[in-house]
Amino acid sequence: MKYLTRFFCGSLALLLALSIGVPHGSACVGKTLVIGSTGTVQQQVLAQLLAVLIAERTGTSVKVADFSGHAAVHEALVKADIDMYVEYTGVGQVEILRKEAIADSDALFKAVKEVYNQDLNLIWLKPLGFANKQEAPAGAPADAAPVVRKDTLKKFPALARLINKLGGRIDDATIEQLEKQAAGQPPHKVARGFLKQNRLI
Amino acid sequence: MRRSFVILLLGALLPAGCLGTKPSLHLVDAVVEADVVWQGEVRIRGVVTVKKQGRVVILPGTKIVFEPVDRDGDGIGDSELLVEGALLARGTAEAPILFTSGAAEPKPQDWKYLYFDFAKEAVLEHVVSEYAYSGVQVHFCRATVRDSVFRYNVDGVRFSTVNIEVAGNRMIHNTHGLRYEERGSVASVHHNDIRNNDIGIFAVTRSKDKATIARNNLVDNRNYSVKLGIEQREDVTLPYNWWGTTDGEQIAAGILDRRIDPQLGRVLTPAPLTGPVDISRWREEKVP
Repeated sequence: MKYLTRFFCGSLALLLALSIGVPHGSACVGKTLVIGSTGTVQQQVLAQLLAVLIAERTGTSVKVADFSGHAAVHEALVKADIDMYVEYTGVGQVEILRKEAIADSDALFKAVKEVYNQDLNLIWLKPLGFANKQEAPAGAPADAAPVVRKDTLKKFPALARLINKLGGRIDDATIEQLEKQAAGQPPHKVARGFLKQNRLI
Repeated sequence: MRRSFVILLLGALLPAGCLGTKPSLHLVDAVVEADVVWQGEVRIRGVVTVKKQGRVVILPGTKIVFEPVDRDGDGIGDSELLVEGALLARGTAEAPILFTSGAAEPKPQDWKYLYFDFAKEAVLEHVVSEYAYSGVQVHFCRATVRDSVFRYNVDGVRFSTVNIEVAGNRMIHNTHGLRYEERGSVASVHHNDIRNNDIGIFAVTRSKDKATIARNNLVDNRNYSVKLGIEQREDVTLPYNWWGTTDGEQIAAGILDRRIDPQLGRVLTPAPLTGPVDISRWREEKVP
């Protein structure tokens, strides 16, 4: 009876308190990072490689979102709807920036990295180690590399160092192998297997 | 409109209190600023905050049900119980207090968390917390978490910058059984069963190796028994735990530390126990 009385009194107090206002939404689940993909098998595997690596090593929640193509995923990145995706240097130079193709791989990477940084506040991290020949525009290679919003890197200072652990680790044969694996199992499992095998998670 | 809502809710509660039937509360984005006792079933939608002057006592057998809502679309439920005042949840072995999801088919992160933030009192005994992002998070306060079960969450128990005792608990079937950022904490984590998680213990960052984590069972965790976060560069020592083996190489194989990433600290596991810890004996057995 005593408890019921206390309960009733408590409930009344609580009900009165209801009228005071709506509390804040609190943090410490942390921001959920969103990684984009153009929806191809290769892009889904690459997005999952980033997602699993980041989630496993930092504890940050990560989501993957598919887009209809490079223009759409780039626009989402610029609008901060996503935090990063893997782009190809030639596509960035010719299709996104609408600039002249550059044949030399290193010069092309340097060029897109500089313009993205200065004009778009987007950072190209280390190339992964392979080029996508199907998506390469005429006269330019298409080296794959993660592109990340600068403000995301500021919020997560360890992120660049972590993502750069993938730099140079995925050559032409490896990406081909990963894509083949993705025909028979979900991309996140393929990504997890690769990261585990390479002692990255 | 709000006044109407309050009156309606009050009307719904009055008969329950007067007739002595099982009471039920349905709280939607509410604040608690007084002494209250919860029992029966309490449903929470959105954020319920126990303010500094508020004090909630939860009776044994009470069921706190968090309704699954995801307002920001991040895939993590937004219902939570945020405690800035006092929350004393003392269940019993026979009648534990349940914090759970209201989903028809519950899954991890259906609701956000039970979150103590600069709380005046934080006591959990014989509770079961399940299907949350974090079964419990404790920050910037003194807390005890004892004889409880944390299961099917992303993080079972999570803390940073606290004075905390975590003893006699089972942290099972979570992504991370225990996740912590030491950040000057005075933490004693002992006599816990931390098993069948993806990761047993995740020491994310800022550990100066001051937390005592001893006399726990750290077994059958799927990926790693212990993992250091990307920014944890100092060593972490976990003495007198049961790892399922006393073989140093086998124990090391279940740890992500400097052996895998040269930029991380080491996890040191001196004096491994030769058999499982009886977690129910946490009151009698001293922690080394």
